[in-house]
Amino acid sequence: MSMQVDTTAFAGTDPVYVIAEEVFSSMIDGEPGFLRHWDGDPPPIVDAMHAWVDVHGATNGRVLLSTERSTADDLARALLQMGPTEPVSDEDFADALGEVANIVGGNVKALVPDPGVLTLPQVTHERPHTDPEALIYELPLDWRGSLVVIGLWRLL
Amino acid sequence: MTLAPDTFAFVADLVRRRSAIQLEPGKEYLVESRLLPLARTAGLLDVDSYVRGIRAAPHPTTLEAVVEALTTNETSWFRDALPFRALVDHVVPEMLTATTSGMFAPQLRIWSAACSSGQEPYSIAMALADVLAPSRMKITATDLSDQMLERGRSGRYSQLEINRGLPAPMLVKHFTRAGADWEIAQPLRSAVTFQRHNLLDAPPVGGPFDVVFLRNVLIYFDLATKRDVLRRVQQAMRPGGFLLLGAAETTIGVDDGWERVSVGRSSVYRLAPRRAA
Amino acid sequence: MRALVIDDSRTMRRIIVGVLTALGFETVEAADGRQALDVLEQGIEVDLACIDWNMPVMNGLEFVVAVRERKDWRGVTLMMVTTESEHGQIVRALAAGAHEYMIKPFTPDAVKEKLQLLGLVEIEELV
Ligand SMILES: C[S@@+](CC[C@H](N)C(=O)[O-])C[C@H]1O[C@@H](n2cnc3c(N)ncnc32)[C@H](O)[C@@H]1O
Ligand SMILES: [Mg+2]
Repeated sequence: MSMQVDTTAFAGTDPVYVIAEEVFSSMIDGEPGFLRHWDGDPPPIVDAMHAWVDVHGATNGRVLLSTERSTADDLARALLQMGPTEPVSDEDFADALGEVANIVGGNVKALVPDPGVLTLPQVTHERPHTDPEALIYELPLDWRGSLVVIGLWRLL
Repeated sequence: MTLAPDTFAFVADLVRRRSAIQLEPGKEYLVESRLLPLARTAGLLDVDSYVRGIRAAPHPTTLEAVVEALTTNETSWFRDALPFRALVDHVVPEMLTATTSGMFAPQLRIWSAACSSGQEPYSIAMALADVLAPSRMKITATDLSDQMLERGRSGRYSQLEINRGLPAPMLVKHFTRAGADWEIAQPLRSAVTFQRHNLLDAPPVGGPFDVVFLRNVLIYFDLATKRDVLRRVQQAMRPGGFLLLGAAETTIGVDDGWERVSVGRSSVYRLAPRRAA
Repeated sequence: MRALVIDDSRTMRRIIVGVLTALGFETVEAADGRQALDVLEQGIEVDLACIDWNMPVMNGLEFVVAVRERKDWRGVTLMMVTTESEHGQIVRALAAGAHEYMIKPFTPDAVKEKLQLLGLVEIEELV
């Protein structure tokens, strides 16, 4: 069965954007105003990092968050309340990015009519395999001028 | 960027006249940050030019928007917890035993004054739902801000708002998911009526009230306005009615028409019989 | 007051520990339900457990069930802190014996307000 997100229930507001906005405003920035929709066509991400969780059950899907390594560093620093230039250990870095994917993923899961279970987050440099046909939805975001992409993928 | 002194003076005066909210000197940053989004929407780069435009051609809806932008709408579910316990454990039982004297029948009438986005009146409804059928409660929820009233009427709250003070058993009992948000159940929604009302004006329809929640709004007013508002509230209440104030608010030293009653670790105020109409 | 903070994400543990410390709690950390049970088995007394749901080894729901089976652990207040946010999941956690439920993401204020509800943090005296 495919992962279907019932977008009709949202009265014009994009629920995935709402979720992202809540995650960023409460846990990353501490206040709203730093996350918006990406203006125009997003450029390809160079030196990308990917964090994702899968939803398994009646529906199978993947919530994938992709961003440049340096943006991911900034995200981790913000989440860990570190200074802007403080070095982030590899462990902290992967953990922080994974937890962002986990939080976004769990909330996205709640949008699905018949949700299943969430896998533990994974973080890699290499983009995990997704079938190009299986893209359900993609949301390019502008966080303090940097690109962060949230994608929902069907898992076949 | 700093705000021009006459911009601040104009806004402070407008807001004081329309809402009684006091913007003391030093609150320039507040005016600037709250009005900047309005200025931007109007296609202007800064607050000074926005306000200059308003002064040159004042328009009622624009003036209202400015006042609304300067209200603080911070709220949460069951804010401070204790007043809601006092309502259920003390106020309602008192009122129920007093039905013989003609009050509190057939419905308990409650006014949630300055209700912001609705968490307060819905918390009242949820607290009462444990002891009273929704058809026996009539909650009038008022605020100055149309935007807040609209949110209250929608009965829809974000995840972040839901996390703030709403006990999980209440969440599962009274809410369903609506996309990324949560929506409050219909029986409770129909117990609450939202209505625009300025505390400086005559009381809203829906009274006379048995209980008034007037929480976390007197703090924005000067002493004379506090006294004035409390007098008006008295006129909207039934004899023996109860008033519940915010954690930093009291009638003592402001208006002597009230008797303070300690309930557990908090206080409620009872309309002193002398003033009962 | 002592709190046991259970989450497989060290980032999340750090955030929760930060909020609880500011509220006057002493904290102990565990990275999964099994580790958390070990802490309790050692006889370390805790007033509050903040419990993630999705964790390796033993998940938060299993931890809640295990704690509720023990009479001597009745005094521990159990609060889920998780990204699981369906209505049905919250019902499940409460039915298993959790006392409160906080959905990620959250603000520090929200933690304080939940703990006030649970009677673990003083409500500011009313004047
Ligand atoms: C901080 S909120 C309090 C909300 C709620 N009573 C509580 O305790 O959580 C203050 C509210 O007072 C409203 N307000 C301010 N001045 C007012 C006035 N003159 N008349 C009516 N409402 C007013 C604001 O719009 C705002 O929603
Ligand atoms: Mg986890």
